Amino acid sequence: MADLPSGATTQLKTFALKSGATVCGVADAAAFNARAPEKQRPDDLLPGARSVVVVGGAQPREGDWAATSPWVMQTMGTTERIQGVGRRLAQYIESEFGYYALYVPPGTASGDTPFLSLMLAAELAGLGSKSLAGPVLNRDHGFMYWSAVITTAPFEADAAEENPACPAPACREMWDRDRTTPCLATCPGDNGGCLSGKLENGRAVRTFYDAARCNTRVHTHWVGGFQKVLEETLNEPDRDKRKMLLYGDFFTRSLWAITYSSTNIAQCFECMRVCPAAHGLKEMK
Amino acid sequence: MSVFKLDPEVYKRYKDEVLKLCNSFQKIDQPGLSDKQIAERLGLDERTVTEIRCVAERDCYSLDEWEKAIEFKRKATLEWSALALKRPDLKPE
Amino acid sequence: MTLTEQVKAVGRKAGARVVGVAAVEAFREKVPEGYRPEDILPGARSVVVAGGDGPTAGAWRSPDNRVMEITGYDLRENVAVHAMCDFIEGTLSHHAIQAPSLPVHGHEPPMSMMHAAELAGLGTRSLAAHIILNPEYGLLYYAALITTLQLEPDQPLAEPACPHPGCAAMYKRIGTTPCLRVCPACLSGTVQDGRIQQSTYDREKCHSRAQTYGIGSFQKGLLQIVNEDDPARRRTMIHSDFFTKSIQSLGFFRDSIAQCFECMRVCPVGRKYRKLQ
Repeated sequence: MADLPSGATTQLKTFALKSGATVCGVADAAAFNARAPEKQRPDDLLPGARSVVVVGGAQPREGDWAATSPWVMQTMGTTERIQGVGRRLAQYIESEFGYYALYVPPGTASGDTPFLSLMLAAELAGLGSKSLAGPVLNRDHGFMYWSAVITTAPFEADAAEENPACPAPACREMWDRDRTTPCLATCPGDNGGCLSGKLENGRAVRTFYDAARCNTRVHTHWVGGFQKVLEETLNEPDRDKRKMLLYGDFFTRSLWAITYSSTNIAQCFECMRVCPAAHGLKEMK
Repeated sequence: MSVFKLDPEVYKRYKDEVLKLCNSFQKIDQPGLSDKQIAERLGLDERTVTEIRCVAERDCYSLDEWEKAIEFKRKATLEWSALALKRPDLKPE
Repeated sequence: MTLTEQVKAVGRKAGARVVGVAAVEAFREKVPEGYRPEDILPGARSVVVAGGDGPTAGAWRSPDNRVMEITGYDLRENVAVHAMCDFIEGTLSHHAIQAPSLPVHGHEPPMSMMHAAELAGLGTRSLAAHIILNPEYGLLYYAALITTLQLEPDQPLAEPACPHPGCAAMYKRIGTTPCLRVCPACLSGTVQDGRIQQSTYDREKCHSRAQTYGIGSFQKGLLQIVNEDDPARRRTMIHSDFFTKSIQSLGFFRDSIAQCFECMRVCPVGRKYRKLQ
C-alpha cells in the first residue's frame, strides 16, 4: 500500500471545511481500544482501520439558543447537515487517496447502542472534551454535531484537547459559591432530573447520569414514546379510548418526529442552553 | 385527564365546535382560531382543546375517504394526461 | 449591494427560485399570539422567505400519479434558508433561525409559511386550497427564516395571482374554474369581476388526498388493526398495500409531504415553465 502524499491530512481537512464542517480532526483508530467496548471500535467496523476522521458542525445557531419557542430546536435539532459532510469525506478519501473509507452510520446499531461513539471520536480527534452535562464541547464553538469516517488511510492523528471547555470560569465561580453549576441546577439528578456531579481540582466529575430519563427528554416524541402508546393502546379494552390514544396529540407528534427527522434529532437542550461553554465565542448584535 | 388520553365523553361533546373554529374548514382571508382562543371561547383549558383538535382532525373522515382519494388521483391524472399529452389511450375507464 | 440584496442573493444562489422579506410587525394583524415571529425569536425584526420549485416539468407529465406522490418535494427552499441563516449569523453577526414550520400539534405548525410568503410579496392565496401562487412561477414551496437583522421589507402583492384571466373567463362562461371543477370535494368558490369573491377549503378531506400515505393513514390503519378481533383479517390489514405504503412513507419522509397535485395540475399560473421538449 502506497503511503499518503505529503500534506494529505491538511488537504483532507481543507476539503472537509470547504464541504461545510466547522471543525475537522483525526483520531488514531487504535486509541479507541482502551475506551470503547468491543464491537464499537473502528476495527470492528472496518478491518484494518488506521484513522478516524471526525467532523463537527451544523450546531444550533446563536438565534436557535435565543429562541423562546421550544419547537425551534425540537424540530430543527438534527445532525443531517453534518452527516452529508461525513458522507462526502468518505467518498473523497477513497477517490482522492485510494484508501478504504467507511462513513459511520448515525443512529443506533441496536437498542440505544451506536455503531461507534461519535462523542468519543470527537474527543480522541482533539475536537472537544466531555462536559459535566455529557455532550462533548469544542473550546471555540461549544456544542456541535459530529460525523465520522473510519479509514485505512494513515492520516496524522491530532492530540486530545488539553484544556477542556468545561468547567467554564463562570461555572467554577458558581460551584465555589453554591456547590452547583448551571447544568446541574437545571437538571438535578436528585430532584427529577438526569445529572449529578461535582467540580474537583478544577475538573468536572459526573457522579450520576440517568440515561433512561434523559432519553425521555432528548427523544420525547420518538420511537420509545411510540412504543409506549402502542402498548397502552393494545392493553386498552375501550375502543373509544384507543382512538384517543392513537389520534391524540402525543402520538401524532411522535409520528411527525419519526417521519421528518432524518436519523438523529434532539428534543432537549436545557443543560446546554444554560451552559456558558456551549454556545461558541462569536459575539452577536 | 392524563397527558396521553382524552376523555372520550369530553371529545364527543366538543369535537364539532372545535373543528368549526379551527383551521380545518377554511374560508379565504378568515383565519381559524388558535387553541388558546378556542379554549377561551368554550371555557376549556388549552391543552384539552389541543387534544380534542388533534383527535378530531384525524377522526373527521373515515378510511373510506382515503380509498376515494386513491381512486380520485388515479383517474384525475389519467384524464389530464389523455387530454394534455394527446393520448386518448390513457383515458381511464 | 444593500444588505437585503446580499441576503437574497445568497438565497437564490443556494437554490431558491424567489426570495422576499416581511417585517415582523406585518404578522400582528392576522396571526394569533404565540405564532408570530417575535414570539419565536426575541428581538426579531425581519422574516426572509424562500420559495423553491415543486416537481419538475417531466414529473407533471407522468400519467402515474404515484410518481409525484413520492417526488413532489426536494426541500431546496430549506437549503436556501440555511444558507441565508449561516450568512446572517456568520457574516452579519445577527441572530437568524430557520422558522419552525413542521406541524407540532396535529396539523398546526408554530408558524405559517403560507402567510409569510404572502406578506413577503411572493404570492397570493388561490381558489385551489388557498395555495399561495406566485404570479410568475405558480406553485412554489416556502420556507422562512427569522432574524434580528433589519432588512428592507417587500410589500404584499397588489394584484392577486388568482384567478388567472383564463380562469376568470371560464368562470364567467360556465360558472367554474379548472381547479374547482377537478376537485369539488375539497374546494368551492366564486369569482366576480375577475377577483375571488369567496372560497372555502376542506382541509381534512384534502389531507386524505395530499397525504394519502402518511402519518394520518398510519394512525387510521393502526386503529382499525387494533380493533380487529379476527387474527386472519388483522394479518391481511397489517400486510395490505395501503398499510405498507403508509409505513414506507414514514420511513422515507419525502413520500408523505405532498401527494395530490390535481388542483395545481390544471392551474394555468406558471404553466409556461412546464412546457419543455
